[in-house]
Amino acid sequence: MPSGALLFQSVLLGLLLGGLYALLASGLTLYFGIMRVVMIAHSAFLILAAYLAWWLHDQAGIDPLLSMIGTVPLFFLAGVGLQRALLTRLRPATLTMMSVLLTFAIALLIEGLLGYAFSGTQRRINLGYGSASLEVLGARVAVVKLIAFGLAVVALTTLYLLMKKTRFGWALRATIQHRDAARLLGIDTDRVAGFGFGIGLATAAVGGTALSLDTTIYPSLHWHWIGPLMAIIVVGGLGSVPGAAIAALVLGMAQSLLQIPMGTTWAQTVFYVALFATLAFRPQGFFGGRLAQRF
Amino acid sequence: MLNASRALKAGAILLLAAGILAFPSLAPNPYILSVGVLVLNYAALSTSWNFVGGFTGYISLGHGALAGLGAYGTGLLVAKGGLPPFLALFAGATLVAALAVPIGFAALRVRGASFVIVSISLVLILLLIFQSWASVTGGSRGLVVPRPFDLSRPEHHRVFYYLFAGLLALALLVWWLIDRSRFGLGLKSIREDEDKAEALGTATYAYKLIVFVVSAFFTALTGGLYALWFGDLDPVFQFSILTGSYLVLMALLGGVRQLFGPVVGAIIVGTALEYFKGAYGDTPLHLVATGLLLALVVLFMPDGVLPAVADLFKRFDRTQSSSIREVTASELRDERLKKAEGAAR
Repeated sequence: MPSGALLFQSVLLGLLLGGLYALLASGLTLYFGIMRVVMIAHSAFLILAAYLAWWLHDQAGIDPLLSMIGTVPLFFLAGVGLQRALLTRLRPATLTMMSVLLTFAIALLIEGLLGYAFSGTQRRINLGYGSASLEVLGARVAVVKLIAFGLAVVALTTLYLLMKKTRFGWALRATIQHRDAARLLGIDTDRVAGFGFGIGLATAAVGGTALSLDTTIYPSLHWHWIGPLMAIIVVGGLGSVPGAAIAALVLGMAQSLLQIPMGTTWAQTVFYVALFATLAFRPQGFFGGRLAQRF
Repeated sequence: MLNASRALKAGAILLLAAGILAFPSLAPNPYILSVGVLVLNYAALSTSWNFVGGFTGYISLGHGALAGLGAYGTGLLVAKGGLPPFLALFAGATLVAALAVPIGFAALRVRGASFVIVSISLVLILLLIFQSWASVTGGSRGLVVPRPFDLSRPEHHRVFYYLFAGLLALALLVWWLIDRSRFGLGLKSIREDEDKAEALGTATYAYKLIVFVVSAFFTALTGGLYALWFGDLDPVFQFSILTGSYLVLMALLGGVRQLFGPVVGAIIVGTALEYFKGAYGDTPLHLVATGLLLALVVLFMPDGVLPAVADLFKRFDRTQSSSIREVTASELRDERLKKAEGAAR
């Protein structure tokens, strides 16, 4: 039996990791809600943002947190462009399948271009506060992990307020719930859908910056992220943001705790086991509504 | 008119078959021959993929993992189980088909999106398992599969070239049979509109599951044959997400609704891949090329080359393309008479 301090540390790390997962999964959920699109390239954009943060720090000495001033609007525009210029071109009848292939192709493109531009070498940002850590009730937690978690919390809260309190958020939720009805009420659903995609991709920019703080990055890293993230959105119920957030926290915690007896590699399988179990016994996920039952 | 286009089709198929069979005697060196084997391997895999992708419209990005499972199943049965190679091949493929039942059970419960997610997860989880479980699979050091025949290298390639060609022919035959059957009709109705198919009484879930298992069997068979041919397995290549995407690219490029679509796609993409590898080496640029090509096909040619070529022929054949056909009165009378005769009989 591991000691209490070790367990507490794992719970804490699991919570911090789960926060990041929740932020990224919320982006994936948004895309799915808006257009029934499974966005494979989400994690590739995540790694792209991490690379941009690393590159700016390496070349100009800019703190990764400041790089978000540039990357977040950039990714927002890229998301709007992606939805308006590419995804709407696909035939509606085969949209779900073809959009998977299209975003998969984009992920390959990003991975290939990153490998070409920065080579496959593993990169890491060396920050002044990179090795600092806090002692919380006997558990040691790196400051950068706390910053990453803080970023995730701020971004998720902003997203929540945006969705619940603003007119745009209402329009976006209406578009997700029933596109035709939303259009009848005078909502420009095409524009709202484009902005929704931009917001989804902006979460990848925030997540990527948070990731770059304490992770060694390389071009093919995005495959390690997309699997867990997709498992999270299925377990939570496709299209449900709170479901994704809860599943992210639970699975992140489970991964962190299972690392004690099983080691890091085998602990990752918890996501896939959860995915298979969910689909076999409760295919609509645990918090999914009407939408999840059909996809 | 119908006969002319039919003759053209039959001629094209005969030409393709003759070209494939004559290739080993025409290949100038063993390297080119080995490329031919690889292309046939891709063609067989992509045709196996098309059982699911073409009939039901469910796109799997994880068939590379099923091929890898077949390869490792065969390899382990030969290397550690001591079974004769071709018995191991069929045993391995049967095992993978059996494993495909629970996978399909989970993946096909709901519609497309979850299926794609499961198919990608399959690749990722199997890569994880086969790399970590080194005591059985050899891990990253690889697994050496003993060769089934005691032959020189060119002869070895030649024998396996014909084995792959035979397997491809078998897969094509089964695809053709399903295509013409009632079962195939049910599968295609799932592709067109799953709700309506279900409402009309098609057992959609069972149909999808059966065809997924058939597809997994052929994929694993091809993978196992690859293991016997290549003789050295590495998890990174066997459980690569790229393999799965190549198969999808080939089938889509050729045309998923056509019997020979995946074969044509495999010849184009497989040759291009090998050329690219030879000319530029192993750079990240092949990812860029694959991604770009896949995006272009999805955006502009989702039906594939074969239908595009057929459309081109139709454009030259005026009688079929114009919506208002020029028909003389006598022709019209002949047509009516024929119809009346048919009705009287």
